[in-house]
Amino acid sequence: MSTSNDIIGKCRKNIRQRLPRPCLSDIDATVYTDPLEEFIIQATAAGCRIVKDRKKEDLDSIIKECYPDAKVIASALPEVKSATVNPDNIKKAQDLNGTDVGVIEGKFGVAENGAIWFPQEVKERAVDFISENIVALIDEDEIVSNMHQAYQKVTFNDYGYGVFIAGPSKTADIAQVLVMGAQAARSMTIVLLKS
Amino acid sequence: MSTSHSKLAKKFLENQQYADWHDSTFWGLRVKRDKMAAAVPEWEQLREKASQIKRHTLTNLDIYLQKFADAAEKNGVEVHWAKDAEEFNEIVYGILKDNNAKKMVKSKSMLTEECDMNPYLEARGIEVVETDLGERILQLAHQRPSHIVVPATHLTHDDVGELFEKELNTKKGDHDPTYLTYEARLSLRDEFLTADAGMTGANFGIAETGDIVVCTNEGNADMSTSVPDLQIAAIGLEKIIPDYECLAVFVRLLARSATGQPSTTYTSHFRKARPGAKKMHIVIVDNGRSEWLADEDHWETLKCMRCGACMNSCPVYRWSGGYSYSFFIPGPLGINLGMLHDPKKYSGNVSACTLCLGCQNVCPVKINLGEQIYKWRQTLDGLGVANPEKKMICKAMDYVFDNKSVYNTATSCAHIVNNLPSFMVNNGLNPWAYAHKMMKFPKKPFHKDMED
Repeated sequence: MSTSNDIIGKCRKNIRQRLPRPCLSDIDATVYTDPLEEFIIQATAAGCRIVKDRKKEDLDSIIKECYPDAKVIASALPEVKSATVNPDNIKKAQDLNGTDVGVIEGKFGVAENGAIWFPQEVKERAVDFISENIVALIDEDEIVSNMHQAYQKVTFNDYGYGVFIAGPSKTADIAQVLVMGAQAARSMTIVLLKS
Repeated sequence: MSTSHSKLAKKFLENQQYADWHDSTFWGLRVKRDKMAAAVPEWEQLREKASQIKRHTLTNLDIYLQKFADAAEKNGVEVHWAKDAEEFNEIVYGILKDNNAKKMVKSKSMLTEECDMNPYLEARGIEVVETDLGERILQLAHQRPSHIVVPATHLTHDDVGELFEKELNTKKGDHDPTYLTYEARLSLRDEFLTADAGMTGANFGIAETGDIVVCTNEGNADMSTSVPDLQIAAIGLEKIIPDYECLAVFVRLLARSATGQPSTTYTSHFRKARPGAKKMHIVIVDNGRSEWLADEDHWETLKCMRCGACMNSCPVYRWSGGYSYSFFIPGPLGINLGMLHDPKKYSGNVSACTLCLGCQNVCPVKINLGEQIYKWRQTLDGLGVANPEKKMICKAMDYVFDNKSVYNTATSCAHIVNNLPSFMVNNGLNPWAYAHKMMKFPKKPFHKDMED
């Protein structure tokens, strides 16, 4: 088998000239005067339902209101009293299959594309994907304008995993017809928390 | 005078109704891309920066590869190096065998297509399940991708419906895309739950932090890696970029260029194995790429981030389909990559270009795809694959254009052709007459008219 030296050495031998790194701080990136407003527009376009001006204490009633038939609710958030499964202390990821609603908290949102940053915070991150529906919490003051700002803000912990999610899972692989709910969540409700 | 591409394109065009549908479907993606680009005022600046970042990274790739591998190892990931497809397949099989994995779910990876990984593993008793819906459809239909982003879009919903009736026992005659997608979801869910290993490709590898970054809409890369115990990522060495500041530029361009979305649904960053899971593996693949760095005319093809915008824009791709190209990646990108891999084998594709240069005007990393195709054409004679008829015609034109009197005589007499009976002009010996009406020559040539 090849070693790193073989392949890196070959690259070194074949590089003809070394070009400098461009300056990126002068990118004239779009900044929104009201990032929250743009975030709502983009997240809605990505297929999300938006619930505004709420508190963490309202979560159980929001879940009931948005997903009245939900039986299996997975969350590690202490405010979700109606949770039936905790993704932090189940034995294996497979046990989360059949979850009707997964409730997860994001760190911040991005206005230009409606995405939310979720670093892994529980043992089984499968909850973000395997649940039929996702309820995502986000502080309405924590919205940045664009991905340049977003990548300055991303944080990781020891789990070593994080994901931007913009709306429910989707596909247009059959004849370019857009269908929500490919392999992961079929719907996503964003709860904007009032600070 | 036909090339391998033009022969297959002719077949493709036999069904004009299908060809029309194919053209408008892929043009639709181009229109969506245009709308997205127009909505970002700094779009052209982003393209220029993206190109410069890639030029910088590729010309310092030795440094960034080392940095990436060091960071990944520090995260506890085992990094493997494959010089070619064979070594790549052996490494992946070795990892699966060592972990006693019998079934692997995987998300879309053009690299594993390039290396013919699935047949290699299947021949050794590993069950490989594609989980991107388009790739899954193709796997069930025993077909190869016809596009790098939307691999099964050449199939109609009836094609998929009939396939699923046979393979997934779906309801007879129900070819509604929503229903078919739901049935595929149910069947793939079982596969995720029972797989021993999950594999992803990589859109980016981050040198500073060792992240593998994967962009999907379906969430299949995350399902593939958050349920099974063993995670393997395959990455071509040109996919390494320095850091998050650079990543932001590419993430803003990728989905807008590919499908006309402001971002993919999921942009996932993998640094290490899940708690309790087995060690994560990254396989870095060369397979010719390090050699291409030395090719002054063509090294910039390595900047590609596989968005597919060049294909959607290409009139030849839209009117000939992915299977008219002999290389597994079609369109302007595939023509160039094929020539880099094996110019003799894939030279039949370089004719598939009108030199309109639309591809390089939409390319988010500004690869000069069309200009490179022009350059490849100049090498055909040296490869011994130039078309003899065309060579003869060029020689004849050389003679006519170099001799003023011959040129004057020829242009003055050309109008005689107008009076020849049709069968003498519009026949198989005159390639102009195929799909064209023969033009009328004027009695007085243009330059004579100007002199008077």
